[in-house]
Amino acid sequence: MIRLLGVTKSYTVGDQVVPVLKGIDLEVHKGEFVAVMGPSGSGKSTLMHIVGLLDRPTAGEYELNGASVLQLPPNHLARLRNQNIGFVFQNFHLIPRMSALRNVELPMVYAGVPRAKRRARAMELLEMVGMVNRAHHLPNELSGGQRQRVAIARALANDPAILLADEPTGALDQQTGGEILRILRDLNAAGRTVMVITHDRNVAQAGQRIVHIVDGEMVREEVLHEPR
Amino acid sequence: MNLDETLRMAFASLASNKTRAFLTMLGIWIGVASILAIVAIGNGGKALVIGAISSGSQRNVIQIVPRELVAPGLPQPGQVLSIDDSDLAIAASFSGVESVNETFYGTAIVQSGDKSDNVTLFAGPADLDSLARFVVVRGRMFTPEDVLSHRNVAVISQSLANKLFGSGNPLGAVITLSGVPLEVIGVAQPEQASLYSLVMGSDNLYIPDTTCEDIFPNWTASEMDVVAKPGINVQSLANRIVLALNIHAGDPSAFADSSGLLASVAALIGKVTTILTAVIGAVAGIALLVGGVGVMNIMLVSVTERTQEIGIRVSLGAKKRDIVFQFLVESMAITSLGGVAGIATGLAVGVLVRVFTGIPASVPWPVGVLAFVFSASIGIVCGLYPALKAANLNPIDALRYE
Repeated sequence: MIRLLGVTKSYTVGDQVVPVLKGIDLEVHKGEFVAVMGPSGSGKSTLMHIVGLLDRPTAGEYELNGASVLQLPPNHLARLRNQNIGFVFQNFHLIPRMSALRNVELPMVYAGVPRAKRRARAMELLEMVGMVNRAHHLPNELSGGQRQRVAIARALANDPAILLADEPTGALDQQTGGEILRILRDLNAAGRTVMVITHDRNVAQAGQRIVHIVDGEMVREEVLHEPR
Repeated sequence: MNLDETLRMAFASLASNKTRAFLTMLGIWIGVASILAIVAIGNGGKALVIGAISSGSQRNVIQIVPRELVAPGLPQPGQVLSIDDSDLAIAASFSGVESVNETFYGTAIVQSGDKSDNVTLFAGPADLDSLARFVVVRGRMFTPEDVLSHRNVAVISQSLANKLFGSGNPLGAVITLSGVPLEVIGVAQPEQASLYSLVMGSDNLYIPDTTCEDIFPNWTASEMDVVAKPGINVQSLANRIVLALNIHAGDPSAFADSSGLLASVAALIGKVTTILTAVIGAVAGIALLVGGVGVMNIMLVSVTERTQEIGIRVSLGAKKRDIVFQFLVESMAITSLGGVAGIATGLAVGVLVRVFTGIPASVPWPVGVLAFVFSASIGIVCGLYPALKAANLNPIDALRYE
């Protein structure tokens, strides 16, 4: 499903080249739940941006569903992102002026889904994450956990094959975080590929496999046969 | 993403900051309104002038005066007025001529009790009201019978009536002209919106020509009023009569058609009005330009404020053109709404001017359409840079922006 080969990324600061990723080889299979774990500054967020097609690597190869995507024009990448990738962010990133329902509808707006169908699908997703009675609330009227549930519903709007979660519990208390992780696990159990980026081992252990990154390099891979 | 959805988003976004949207809109509103109001008033002024010209031509009256007296008005000292019966006969011999009348102009002093006033005296036939362009608003005009019987009757202008009688009733009162008592039978006002009424004085006295000849036996006519038959080309008839009169007088410039002069004055006033309208309109255009700069400024602020939102939208699959379109539609919505409000205000000002000043102010509909298209274009022009700026943000930086 996801195949990264020798992916590097470096930024130029002044006349200094700062490498962030130093040759990452990573393969994620369909239906897997993979955690990418590492301390802050290890380059794991950059890795997620590259996997999520928000950023391009300096060098290397990226195949999504068996097709190389790095040469594609921006509009094509936008469509791939819209159809295949759902983002869940640490700070939820809901649009503040829009109700929960409108937020969930947004990816379908960009996909050109007709209004009625869009609304029905959004309500269905909010139902699934237990937020249907908050559908018409604005994000600032919701608690952190509720916002993250809405964000997950939004990430699922166009039924993407891959869910990318960047510290999904980072802004939540332990209990709420646990609930969010349970939702991610349920989604994975239902067949969706999930990739979580975290510095927290408790979160990483939700996955079936942990990929450890330090200083832009993959240092270790851990397979958890029995996810907690 | 379709237009319907983009519009919905744009209005939702404007509604989320109503005060700001309104103030930004106000800049365009005021600009468009002032341009339209100026065009309306300028147009009204022109219509007034054109109305004055056409009211002259409608009546088919050719006013012929001795050249020395090219404008209807007061004889100059020492001037020889040379319209006599043979001139009248020449004019009357043209086949297109319905009738020929002579009218007299001059200054005179009238008295009523202890009050007296300098007036412009008009003497003519019973249809002097149509020749000299006034309407009797109280009492009556003198009749052909009054003229035939040399009756001592007079019609006075409203302003003369006010001077001599104040708020009292002038009808039936007696005024004296050169020692001769005249009964006031009517009060007159100039015809509406006539250039002629501007040229002529306001303290006027109108009497039958027969009565005038009795009082001033040596006075000669100062103007010949030739009424053309319906359907006749008045201008060409006028030229032919003037030519014939000049040949008769043995002087190529003895007589002139004073209505032609009036028309050229009107054309000049029309031109001046157009230029003034353009100049003041250009100043108002600066107001619109400033409004446009305000729109651009607010859109830039909006892009900065919504940097994170832009990042989120991109992460959800928005294409560059979706982002450009979103901000463009938003700025167009502001300027179009401002344009519509401005057009409505401009038209309202036109109506108020029409009601309160009588100037027939109006906006031709293409100007209204143009104003709308122009204000929408301001939205595109002033929204484009902020929109492109938004679309070219790096999505990762945008997502991190706090």
